[in-house]
Amino acid sequence: MRLVGSAITTAILILGFAAIAQQTGPGGSQPPAGTPPAESPSANGSQPQVDESALRYFASQGDTRRVNAEIARLRALYPNWTPPSDLSQLSAGGGSAPPDPIIERLWNLYREDRIAEVRAAIAERQASEPNWKPPEELVTALETVEARRRLVNASDSGQWQTVLSVATESPTLLTCTNVDVLWRVAEAFARTDQPTRTRDVYTYLLTNCANPAERLATLQKALTLLPEQQVSDLLQFERRTGDTPDDFSSIRDEMARRRVERASLDSKMTASAEDLAAVERLIRNTNEAGPVLTLGWYNYHHGNPARALELFKTALDRNGGAKAAEGYAMSLRALERLTDAEAFAYEWRERAPENMKIYLDIATALLSQDPPPRLDAQVVTRIVRVVTAERFPDGAQALGWYSYNTEQIRTARDWFRTALGWKPEDEPSAYGLALSTQRLNERAAFNAVVAQWRNRSERIAALADGTNSGSGRRSAPVRPQVEMSVAPPARADGAVPRQVTVERVEVEQPLARTEEGVRLRQTRARSVLGRSCAMTRNPAGLSGDAALTRGWCLMEINRPMEAVAAFDQAIATGSTRAREEAAYGKSLAYLRKNLTSEAAVAAAEAPQTRSRQVELGASILTQRALAAYRDKRYVETLLALSERARLVPEQNDLLLIRGWSYFNLGRYKDAEQVFRAVQRTGHSEEASVGLNAVREVTDQVSQ
Amino acid sequence: MMRCGLRPARLLPWLLAMLSLVLGSMASSQNLSVQPLKIAGTLSSAEWEAYRSRFIEDSGRVVDTANGHISHSEGQGYGLLLALAASDRRSFEQIWSFTFTELLIRDDGLAVWKWDPGAKPKVTDRNNATDGDLLIAYALAKAGEVWQEPRYTAAAQKLARAVGKNTFGRSGRSLILLPGAEGFGAGDRPDGPVVNLSYWVFETFPVMAALAPEYEWNRVWRDGVLLLQQATSGRVRLPADWLSLQNGLQPKPADGFPPEFGYNSLRIPLYLLRAGMTDLEWLRALKQRWSAENEGVAVVNVVTGQIRERLTDQGYALLAAALACALDGTSVPAALRTFEPSLYYPSTLYLLAKSLLGEKYPQCVSSAAP
Repeated sequence: MRLVGSAITTAILILGFAAIAQQTGPGGSQPPAGTPPAESPSANGSQPQVDESALRYFASQGDTRRVNAEIARLRALYPNWTPPSDLSQLSAGGGSAPPDPIIERLWNLYREDRIAEVRAAIAERQASEPNWKPPEELVTALETVEARRRLVNASDSGQWQTVLSVATESPTLLTCTNVDVLWRVAEAFARTDQPTRTRDVYTYLLTNCANPAERLATLQKALTLLPEQQVSDLLQFERRTGDTPDDFSSIRDEMARRRVERASLDSKMTASAEDLAAVERLIRNTNEAGPVLTLGWYNYHHGNPARALELFKTALDRNGGAKAAEGYAMSLRALERLTDAEAFAYEWRERAPENMKIYLDIATALLSQDPPPRLDAQVVTRIVRVVTAERFPDGAQALGWYSYNTEQIRTARDWFRTALGWKPEDEPSAYGLALSTQRLNERAAFNAVVAQWRNRSERIAALADGTNSGSGRRSAPVRPQVEMSVAPPARADGAVPRQVTVERVEVEQPLARTEEGVRLRQTRARSVLGRSCAMTRNPAGLSGDAALTRGWCLMEINRPMEAVAAFDQAIATGSTRAREEAAYGKSLAYLRKNLTSEAAVAAAEAPQTRSRQVELGASILTQRALAAYRDKRYVETLLALSERARLVPEQNDLLLIRGWSYFNLGRYKDAEQVFRAVQRTGHSEEASVGLNAVREVTDQVSQ
Repeated sequence: MMRCGLRPARLLPWLLAMLSLVLGSMASSQNLSVQPLKIAGTLSSAEWEAYRSRFIEDSGRVVDTANGHISHSEGQGYGLLLALAASDRRSFEQIWSFTFTELLIRDDGLAVWKWDPGAKPKVTDRNNATDGDLLIAYALAKAGEVWQEPRYTAAAQKLARAVGKNTFGRSGRSLILLPGAEGFGAGDRPDGPVVNLSYWVFETFPVMAALAPEYEWNRVWRDGVLLLQQATSGRVRLPADWLSLQNGLQPKPADGFPPEFGYNSLRIPLYLLRAGMTDLEWLRALKQRWSAENEGVAVVNVVTGQIRERLTDQGYALLAAALACALDGTSVPAALRTFEPSLYYPSTLYLLAKSLLGEKYPQCVSSAAP
């Protein structure tokens, strides 16, 4: 530990030395001919430091042809470079010795970046001539190139200690010529929890290196790695005068945007007028949706839904996509324009899980208005369709109340029952079921609800004891406005289906719970990440936590395969906790893509808590069962279901799948038993379709 | 309750294991004395040139031609060793340059194992492969000695220390060699620790012990031999490539890998011969199995004994021939004496075996032999 610490201190000390070396340069105090004398140290730094070692060697050998070729090559690489003025002296001094062809070949290989071959040739020569030594400049040049390669490779693979130790051993690398190396060293300090040292490297760079593009990029890197205060401190190095002044205003704007974004998710935080103005400016000056969304959310969460609506509209026009649509729908809802909100959200519902969620919420709110609104049959029909497909219990419950309050009591009863099927612990639905069965005078059904709930719900108990008038939740029942179109879907065609539509089962309880967890993390990721993760970038190189955050953020914008890569990075580099979390995220990402075996493998990459194991296991097995069922591999379906049943209880829809699997395997007795069990829990239609099918087949057999 | 019923059935393997423990420690104590190989100068330049021109790029990269042209630490280690065997200092330096700059970048001082020319970054798995590390360190140590090059010796020592520090694991009372620094230990996987017996490159252990004496190389070596004896005590008498040591004394095929004696394990006899550990009883059984009258070199399911794939390449055939030579003095058949390089892996095995035969069993390959 102490060793590492001291190595790092050395690196920083060396950074200081490198700064001096850089300013002095190999040409000494004499300014190079043809360039204006330096006005300040910074102007000197604007010259990229060119590797002149080969040139100097050729000059010392008096090889004019090669000198000229090398000058041409370096000019092509560095247009602003001028050859050193002292070449002729060199040539005069060393011209006596004839050029060594082997050394010339080595330099040529070196220039072509064929480092291994240079090394090989040196070794070969030394093998035949043990006393031979390569020129010292060549050895130094080789060592520098090798060090840079190792440093870059280590940094690409997140091996930050190696980055720091190579930098310590090769101080010649740490100059303005190698800004990329300096950036990597800075990142290595950040990734090893030494942000102050990161700031030191950036400070060194901003003090000594003059390329304005590199200086701005340095600030951009600082934004991703350093806390805001330290970035602010670095802004003071902005050069406002000189040939190449800096323009760091984009950095300031980005910081303002981040502050507004943070405040945009928290109604208790307010952003300064300057920051808000900066974001307004960003909106005007760019065509991007990002800042518009930020300001949209800010207004939404700070009591100005009308302005938010306008902004989300702009964001939509700028291809802000699902996020913009989510904000637009939420603003409409906040403005109590529920009919518009429902119509709009319906169009966007399939774009992302968040859009589906907001649609369901809005539809539920629309139905739950008091008094019940007059709704187009078409609207109700599509709400029914989506609520059913998504198995959204609150929506089913709202449909129940809507039916109840429009005097469609039977329909109401069926919806409450459906809601309870999807969410067995939902007391309001149970209450609704009790009310409607009471109204319909279905004594047995009423008693069944009461028996199940009287200890858990005072109002249901009261209903049974007759202390409640039983008039329902709403005061004034109104005329039915949409006849029967509200009914939960039942089989109307009378044909015996041999398959249950598997799609209906997809969003089942454990997975829904899982997705809830995902949403929570995604939201957190959004607030932590600040900026959107929508820009594709390689997660390699991110720290465990950053990769994790990025993974969740990508899940949010529904790009699970990229999320997998981010989670992989988190698994590879993160703490134990991050690894567990990342393995969890990775499994969920695969689940989204229906890649169940990959999900299972991912789940095993880090130990998970018991509850997560159960949750993931159940989700994976559910999808496996459904996939097998879709492919008519019934034995495998049953295997997966049985395995799943060991983790969590089997709910009705999966029981039906089990029933049909037995049926298709010709195990009619088992099928019948399962369908009967389902029937007893209230899913009578689907169960009786199954029972009829069994009867039909077994009758034929017995005849 | 169930366990009580099982107990009598479990007693037998337990006893066997105990027995082999006793026998094993006897056998291994014999085998721990080894004549070190000279290596340098044991390959003809023609053979080496055929290999070098096919599998080694100018950058010093050893290319696995059967595996998407990737490179790995194992290949770089073999390349270094064979360059030394051919006394080709030039190529050795070239291969080392690539190994040093591209693979030796891990924070813990070990080499990343996988390098893919088509990927960005090229390192596609930053975990190490311990056999690769051992081979590189061993080749460097040998070369440093032969060519009096302190750079090699220093790098060898650094790597040996990193191996000792990061890849030794515990399984009960045994000290084992983990195949990688991450992902194989008892805490890393449900069936962990998981080992690969072919990662014990036996000839490297005395050299490592000299380079990094602060680690218990001899114990890892001895426990590896013991483990080999346990893993070959079953009915089929072949170890699976990947073994779970979750049950301590009863190694079983690891989860997620085919239960096979495969491309990995078929190196084990070569490593034993190269280390001079020829008196292991298992080698006799293997020689029988590998003989031309029997099944020959093959990938075998260690549970059922079924053959999945017969391996007929010259490189594999020479392993069997070297075994027969070392145990019975059988001369190597003429058909195997001329190197015909095909793919990276069998060609590598061929030259490793050839180098051994040239140094220790010249009578089996000399033209005067029948």
